[in-house]
Amino acid sequence: MNIRPRFFIGAGLIILAIGYLIGNAMRTTSEYYLTVTEVAARQSELGGQALRVAGRVKPGTVDWDPNTLTLKFEVVPIPDVDAGAAPVKPVVATDPVSFRVVSAGEPKPDMFAPGRDVIVEGKLGAGGVITATQVMTSCASKYKPKQPQ
Amino acid sequence: MPELGNLALAIALILAVYSIVANIYGARRNAPDFVVSARHAIWSMCAMVTIAVVVLWVALLRSDFSLEYVAAYSSTTLPTVYKITALWGGQQGSLLFWTWLLAIFTSIAAFQNRRRNPEIAPYALAVLAGVAIFFLLMLNFVTRPFDLLATIPAEGSDLNPLLQNYWMAIHPPSLYTGYVSASVPFAFGAAALITGKLDDGWIRSTRRWAIFSWFFLTLGNLFGARWAYEVLGWGGYWAWDPVENAAFMPWLVMTAYLHSVMIQERKDMLKVWNLSLIGLAFGLTLFGTFITRSGVISSVHSFTQSGLGPYFLSFLIVVTLAYAALLIFRSKQLRSPATFESYLSREAAFLFNNLMLVGIAFAVFWGTVFPVLSEAVRGVKITVGPPFFNRVNGPLALALVFLTGIGPLIAWRRTTADNLVRSFTTPVAIGVATGIVAAAAGLRQWYVLTAFSLAAFVMGTVLVEFRRGMNARRHMVGEPRARALVNLVAKNNRRYGGYVIHVGMIVAFIGIVGSSFFRAEVKKSVHEGDSFTIGSYTLRYLGLSELDTPHLASATARVEVLRPDGREITMMSPAKLFFKQPQQPATQVAIRSTPLSDLYIVLAGIDDSGQTVTFEVFLTPLVFWLWAGGLLMVLGTVIVMWPNVRERAAIATVLSRSSAATRELGDVAAPGGD
Repeated sequence: MNIRPRFFIGAGLIILAIGYLIGNAMRTTSEYYLTVTEVAARQSELGGQALRVAGRVKPGTVDWDPNTLTLKFEVVPIPDVDAGAAPVKPVVATDPVSFRVVSAGEPKPDMFAPGRDVIVEGKLGAGGVITATQVMTSCASKYKPKQPQ
Repeated sequence: MPELGNLALAIALILAVYSIVANIYGARRNAPDFVVSARHAIWSMCAMVTIAVVVLWVALLRSDFSLEYVAAYSSTTLPTVYKITALWGGQQGSLLFWTWLLAIFTSIAAFQNRRRNPEIAPYALAVLAGVAIFFLLMLNFVTRPFDLLATIPAEGSDLNPLLQNYWMAIHPPSLYTGYVSASVPFAFGAAALITGKLDDGWIRSTRRWAIFSWFFLTLGNLFGARWAYEVLGWGGYWAWDPVENAAFMPWLVMTAYLHSVMIQERKDMLKVWNLSLIGLAFGLTLFGTFITRSGVISSVHSFTQSGLGPYFLSFLIVVTLAYAALLIFRSKQLRSPATFESYLSREAAFLFNNLMLVGIAFAVFWGTVFPVLSEAVRGVKITVGPPFFNRVNGPLALALVFLTGIGPLIAWRRTTADNLVRSFTTPVAIGVATGIVAAAAGLRQWYVLTAFSLAAFVMGTVLVEFRRGMNARRHMVGEPRARALVNLVAKNNRRYGGYVIHVGMIVAFIGIVGSSFFRAEVKKSVHEGDSFTIGSYTLRYLGLSELDTPHLASATARVEVLRPDGREITMMSPAKLFFKQPQQPATQVAIRSTPLSDLYIVLAGIDDSGQTVTFEVFLTPLVFWLWAGGLLMVLGTVIVMWPNVRERAAIATVLSRSSAATRELGDVAAPGGD
């Protein structure tokens, strides 16, 4: 391929511009993606920061007010499936780490249910309460959690 | 029956291996009998995979829960159509379906090339069989569709209700068809590299495959977007989720490829670039499967995670390295004597269009894998959400739209100032006028104004092109307007079909801009008889009707939609469904679509007493245009793909010579082409 030098300049400028757009957008839009355990470990430095937290809805903590569209629940760590031979850990009711999540003004996702895995987008406030802008559930193609053979 | 499926898959694997050996031996030793035998092996492999697919379909239709797959993705109460689509509802089935498509496409390619391309076809078919071997190995040893359950359950787990939707029934097959058919041009490119026959024969022989693949990738993305819009109930259609990105990236690269091969066909340039693009497109289809199946990148759509990730990654790495090695090995032969002469040339416009498309693909890739990269490098996962993608791709999309207007009108090699003025005065005037009207109508965001002006500019260029071609025919052939227009498109279908696709793209772009910038949203809790407003609509809640069947229970709200003067426009019925087995709520959105805006009502909550319900309502302008643009793209692709006698003759000419010296193809007759 024979491209004259001035085309390299043109192409180079375009590539630089794209690089700049990416770099600039990274600076302004990136947010931490953490597990509940990680949030607990770094709680002090995360205050007020945009976060995405992956966790499991703790059974028995869900409070849904359909009139104000306020959803409150607690997230606990997702048990590590790869780690042990135990296929499914029993309900994590006794897990020590948990955060309260308050989501206001958004409908409850259909797949949201106690014991399901969720991704909470929001900010960590004082007292370990995550004010969520969005609660996302995994839309799994399958219901029963299946272990890799 | 399941044994039959397993047996068929095992035989298919053996046949695939044999076809590679026979093809390569036949091609190297010049033994046509072996090439013929390899072809038969490919057809037999296809038959075997077909048997496996039929076995699984029969098991699904008969609700044979002794099969783990059937028990996991179907149930006796599942409607028949979704029993059929459950074939691609889960991992094993979707891999089987993928392999089936690959076997079918390989068989068609074998048939098409039974007398054509005697030098490269055996190698191309061997590459395709190599890809098939990978999938057959997965199906035979890693993720087996015909595994049995020790205890047969009385009832299956059913298909996820979110997937029980007609868009979801057709979205995966479209996407898979697009993914898998990209392997054909890839295989021919690889074969050209292997054999050193590096003229554009491989591109011409697989041009239709590339368009076919692009077409189904387009449909797959649109169907997916439509499904998200109708089913997920958040009022949008695209969230830059990794799974969506995985489908979008091959589309971008394929779009770039379809444009840049025109430069090679015409100017014998960019050979390395084209071979790289098709390699990249194929690699991205594997990458897409890898990220959706491996769980490496967390997605809102988490599919069944499994041990499949490492296999796909290994295969991807092997393919990439082998292909890159071939490119380097042949790099001397890939030099082109032709050069770019001027920035103001069609080649340059196409080159920049390619840079934009690949740049967008790279940005999407970067945003998608960044969590994994940042974790590897800095030990902490950092994600970027939709704002990242919008911020990067927004400006790039504008540049791309601009080039869509420039590319087709500007001359090859170099353009004179006179030519520029003649071609672009009308389109620029249309664009500027649109901008002024939009600004006068109260639009203030610079992005929207620029986008609408550029869109109008592109429409103007297409208009100018059609008018020019039509007038040329009127004067030269003496046809009346309408007939001249029809014949113009019919005789230059590739070119004018391409313009129709461009128009579709621009219409879709207008829809995307309008719906992204002007969406209004209202959330309201109301009692029976209450009303509230959004935009110029008044919505009155009339009450709830409930229904209970063995399969599901539902609560449907009746909402009256009124115009400002109080006249009723329509009734809308958003609903909440509760599937019983397994227990799972689902939202049924009510949408009233008009070209100007969509009214989108979600029944977000019902309080326990049933007295108060909460609605989330979106008023999204121009979203209709996205789907209309999609339809136009379909129409344009059909025009492009329409059999064209002259083109066939040209392919035959090219293929009958050893060198590809002819450069006479495509746009003829219409002025402005050269």
